[in-house]
Amino acid sequence: MKALPTRCLPPRRGRQGLLSLLLWSIAPWVYAQTPVFEIEIREHLFFPAELVIPANQKIKLIIYNRDDTPEEFESYELNREKVIVGNSQGVVFIGPLKPGEYPFFGEFNMKTALGKIIVE
Amino acid sequence: MRSKGGTLAVLVGAVCGSGPAMADNPLHHNGVSRIYDPYVQAMEKELELRTLYQWDDNPVENRVIQQRIGYGFSVNDRVFAEAYAIGTRFPDKPLNIEAYELEAKIQLTEQGEYSTDWGVLVEYEREISESIAELALTLLGSRQWGNWVGTVNVGLEYEFGSDITDEIDRFLNAQWRYRYKEALEPGVEFYADEFTRGIGPVLAGTVRGQGKRKWIWEAGLIAPLNDTTPDTTFRFLLEYEF
Repeated sequence: MKALPTRCLPPRRGRQGLLSLLLWSIAPWVYAQTPVFEIEIREHLFFPAELVIPANQKIKLIIYNRDDTPEEFESYELNREKVIVGNSQGVVFIGPLKPGEYPFFGEFNMKTALGKIIVE
Repeated sequence: MRSKGGTLAVLVGAVCGSGPAMADNPLHHNGVSRIYDPYVQAMEKELELRTLYQWDDNPVENRVIQQRIGYGFSVNDRVFAEAYAIGTRFPDKPLNIEAYELEAKIQLTEQGEYSTDWGVLVEYEREISESIAELALTLLGSRQWGNWVGTVNVGLEYEFGSDITDEIDRFLNAQWRYRYKEALEPGVEFYADEFTRGIGPVLAGTVRGQGKRKWIWEAGLIAPLNDTTPDTTFRFLLEYEF
């Protein structure tokens, strides 16, 4: 560890650019049409256990937990994780995905709460 | 027309393009920490152990260990709070608890809802034996490209107290990680703050236990890109989620 650097203020252009980029990264999706799919959790099972969604398109998945106990929708393949407390609902955005099968499970009931997203 | 993928890259450029500022405490010269993702899960509790071990040709900075232990919990599905005790150990001296820290992570967008996922981290750190405190506000951004995930933490830190010259510093930390499999994800991390410019490989993974119990680990070796960054920094993190 040698000489320490000296103070230098950030360029104003960089700060303004940062804000613009933030807005720009969000804006394209605000008005996009996103198909909505639904899954229910009942007695620690997913209904339907297999859900078919379109390829190369983002979808909004609403998960209704009808049980009194919480459940966590989780999938490493989908890179999604969402805890849904009992008698409530949660939203997970998935994709765009290539065609294939993407398994998911309920982390709090891994032996029964199993399912997969089929992308066609 | 600029590509969407350029957002994180420009964020890096916007911060690193500016020059660093001075600080007073030599222990603060190493900006290597961890990279925060912008996500919060409801009903989550965790214990965290974080270790930083640095080597340097300057004997004062050589073989210094910084250790922090923390407990965190979800306030709701958008806010996660955590408290840390922070200790430092110099060669031939015992570990000394020097500071505590409180932090709150706020998830701003649903994962995958927009092209980039966003969150905010607010941190307050207070030295125990000196009148030095830090308040930091960090923007957390993460984006996925196939099996690759890029995460950027960019923020401002305000240092204040009667034992330090009040000042505002900037920092940027970034991680580029490949989702190889859940137990093992290799990546690269970059750290930049007033003194630090470091880059190096990192390995991370998750090991599942019963129910919602999980062990999350990260290990990295950061090499310097300038003269004021320690010659080598090893960082290790272990989280137990329950």
